[in-house]
Amino acid sequence: MQTNLRSKVTNAKPSIMSDKIDHPQLCQWLNAVATSRDKQAFTHLFQFFGPKIQRIARNRFPNEAQASEVVQETMSNVWRKAHLFNKDKGAATTWVYTVMRNVTFDMLRKIKGNKEDNLSDDIWPVAESMVSENESFDDHLESKQLLHVIEKLPEAQQQVVKGFYFMEMSQEQLAVHLNLPLGTIKSRLRLALAKLKMQLGEGHD
Amino acid sequence: MIKHHPTFELIQSFVNGDLPASLSAGIAIHADMCPKCQKQIAQLTDQVAEASFEEAFLDRFIVDDSEDVNVLAEFDFDVMAEQITASNEVFVANEQLDKTIVFNDKTYKLPRALQSMVMGKTSHIGKLSRARIQLDENEIHTSLLQIEAGGSVPEHTHKGFELTVLLDGSFHDEQGEYVKGDFIMLDGSHQHHPISDNGCLCYTVANDALHFTQGINKLLNPIGSFIY
Ligand SMILES: [Zn+2]
Repeated sequence: MQTNLRSKVTNAKPSIMSDKIDHPQLCQWLNAVATSRDKQAFTHLFQFFGPKIQRIARNRFPNEAQASEVVQETMSNVWRKAHLFNKDKGAATTWVYTVMRNVTFDMLRKIKGNKEDNLSDDIWPVAESMVSENESFDDHLESKQLLHVIEKLPEAQQQVVKGFYFMEMSQEQLAVHLNLPLGTIKSRLRLALAKLKMQLGEGHD
Repeated sequence: MIKHHPTFELIQSFVNGDLPASLSAGIAIHADMCPKCQKQIAQLTDQVAEASFEEAFLDRFIVDDSEDVNVLAEFDFDVMAEQITASNEVFVANEQLDKTIVFNDKTYKLPRALQSMVMGKTSHIGKLSRARIQLDENEIHTSLLQIEAGGSVPEHTHKGFELTVLLDGSFHDEQGEYVKGDFIMLDGSHQHHPISDNGCLCYTVANDALHFTQGINKLLNPIGSFIY
């Protein structure tokens, strides 16, 4: 039974660094918004990011209205803060992700009954990359190495790692979506994590 | 030289935005002083961002997307995009004044991650001074703790966790010496007795009162709720 179900979900070829995302194009649109308040470019960005942000937010917020608020807030920050994006310091996807994560963080804090204090931009600045420029070559290599490691994991482990860490799905959710027993999810995650940790050198020692 | 870093799991949760503000700020403060963690965070953020916005990947996990939802969503998106671009307002970053905090006549620059947080009044016991940071995270309490030269925190354990990020100066305990930037996460299995020979300032996050374990220090248990 497990074999059947597994082949069903592994049909789609996973690729973590998708070649489907047209990074130069996204960059160009974001720059056009920053430098000339280009509404057409913004609309393109909205078409690319809007629905994706909506789907990601629906995983984190109980209702559709709140997910829409995340889209609204994130995209209006993209419109208002585009000039803070520095293409030399990172991909447009990384910058928009930061904006989205920050909006989500502040909203969740508000919903949980804390103050409306908008701390996220102090914790994760949107105005600068955390990587200094002279490190970018190194980074590129290490980034490729990480990708390499993830892609070397057995297919089944890759799915669980990506689902759990990148999509922020719970182990229970993954079990349902991948049609697998919870114990299988847990053990795959544990195995995959052990391999990743070894490569990433936990503790830096 | 920084020797103590957040675990891989903590960094992952930090990048995902899953940690409470107190712990997120702790990691941000550490990363500002630690190029290694900074780099790891940057890489993971790239990866997570890429995966998040990768269509095929999203599709694989969303199996219950109904037609209706998509149609409705697209309609809303157009209206939303119109509304957003109707405003020509551009974000202007506030002049980041470097905020400072004073403990016993010593002025410290506040880390960027703490700039917008509300500080409570400072209270003192012996060589310890503490200002609570008002984050309203229920059982999680966050503070700035100064230990004056020659001061120490009595031997204690933690019922929950206790995070200490050293902002300035140094201290040592049974495990060794800690320096500026060190990220020290302890749980109930640890017992320690930090001493600061030359004084230090720490950012601390704890989710349960410290529990003092030895002799006369047991009488000091009220100090536990002071620190935490
Ligand atoms: Zn570090």
